[in-house]
Amino acid sequence: MARSTESMTVSSTAQFWEKSTRRDFMRLMGIGGAVVMLPTLFTSCSDSSNDTTGPGTGATVTIDFSKGDVAVLQFAYALEQLEADFYTRVVAGFSGSGLSSSEQTIFTDIKNHEVIHREALKTVLGTSNGFTLTPTYPGVSFTSRTSILATSSAFEELGVAAYNGAAQYLSDANNLLVAGKIVSVEARHASAIADLISPKSSAFAPSSFDNAYSPAKVAGAAQGFITDKLAFANPPAAFVQGPNNNG
Amino acid sequence: MEHTPILNSLDPEMMEPILSRRDAIAKGATASSKVVAALALGSIPIALGALAKDVYGQTPADVLDVLQFALTLEYLEAEFYTRGVAGSGLIPAADVTIFTNIRNHENTHVTALQGIITGKGATPVAKPTFDFTAKGALAGFSFSSGQYATFQALAQAFEDTGVRAYKGQAGRLINDKAVLTAALTIHSVEARHASEVRRLRGLKGWITGSSRDDLPSFTQPIYDGEDNVTQAGLNISGLGSGNGGTAGVTEAFDEPLTKAQVLAIAAPFLA
Repeated sequence: MARSTESMTVSSTAQFWEKSTRRDFMRLMGIGGAVVMLPTLFTSCSDSSNDTTGPGTGATVTIDFSKGDVAVLQFAYALEQLEADFYTRVVAGFSGSGLSSSEQTIFTDIKNHEVIHREALKTVLGTSNGFTLTPTYPGVSFTSRTSILATSSAFEELGVAAYNGAAQYLSDANNLLVAGKIVSVEARHASAIADLISPKSSAFAPSSFDNAYSPAKVAGAAQGFITDKLAFANPPAAFVQGPNNNG
Repeated sequence: MEHTPILNSLDPEMMEPILSRRDAIAKGATASSKVVAALALGSIPIALGALAKDVYGQTPADVLDVLQFALTLEYLEAEFYTRGVAGSGLIPAADVTIFTNIRNHENTHVTALQGIITGKGATPVAKPTFDFTAKGALAGFSFSSGQYATFQALAQAFEDTGVRAYKGQAGRLINDKAVLTAALTIHSVEARHASEVRRLRGLKGWITGSSRDDLPSFTQPIYDGEDNVTQAGLNISGLGSGNGGTAGVTEAFDEPLTKAQVLAIAAPFLA
């Protein structure tokens, strides 16, 4: 990243989610600097999805935090919809994905888990489950092993941080337990995918503490993959940071 | 369910945090400024300790009990990996990075929990003496060359236990958001460790049914109950259709253990 010449290069969607990238992006946009988006970000619609509309251009889906635990579960349901859809597409496209046989076994498992998470939350929410998000994958190539792994990693890391950060807004210990049961499976996924990307390195667990992100921060990242406009009503006023202090 | 006698709240240790907080308030020293200062120093344990002091009012005995319990488990893991990484010829060169990483995390967890406990005005429990032969079940295990398979098996057992242990305590932290969030961010790291060690051993990173796979029979309590298919009071076994069946349903949710269950699992490792 060439800060001295006031330009930056964004080569993957995952990179957008890195704090330093966003910081530089916002700084450069603020001072009229040059930002280069590599083609992988925008030119692979043909093999990424059928969506013709961009993130956040559709109908507004509002999660109202005045509903307490229900809102947190709806938020989780939204994320699980995204994950389940992504892995379903990955599994459907195995033949051209470049993923090895053993990797396909892992992705099939993860797809199963995420669909089950989505459906379980839908069931738990009952009459409060009435929204279906339309995902979109700008820059993601489902025919690229590298792109699939990078996007999977981004989703899993975001999922872990989302649950860890949203747990503080749950008031019913039974709901907290369900969230805890899901987040550790997401962490197992994150570990496995990180190890596929960078085998036997420290990547499977890059920090002594996982991240805990505020719902607003998570929504900001997830919005890049959702056609609907994700909105919060009565968002929580306070967020208690985790040890990494980056939520 | 955990039952904490009311009398615990009269523990003399409890008076110290109350007095020190009142003192801090009287002196106008805001805890949040200490958090900022500690973070500026780059010290997570110090920051956590300071965060603990942000919670004014009585420190529930439950929270301290959870913290001390977690610390005991982290002592076990930290010593296990510290001795493992130090064991001459034990870990193949290709896997040293993995176990060194885990060792570092567990040591940091120990320091962090000690910091939080101290920050709440209590004294961290002392590190127990451990017996990694599990009272003879693994006779001769001494972190020596040629014992890598046993070391890996124990690592899996400890990590899968750790995930379930933290999960089982989360509800007791629901009113202390700082400690809850800190505990959850450790909990998911233990799950990452578990996944890595399991995959290193040729297993799936997740737990299927209540299978202990190839671990010795004395580890079965670590996996009992993982075959649960009732979530939030609803039987969701039907969701496995087209999604890996009942196996998929059980893999998708990790299950908690009670403190008593965890202590029973840990008992053979306490000398």
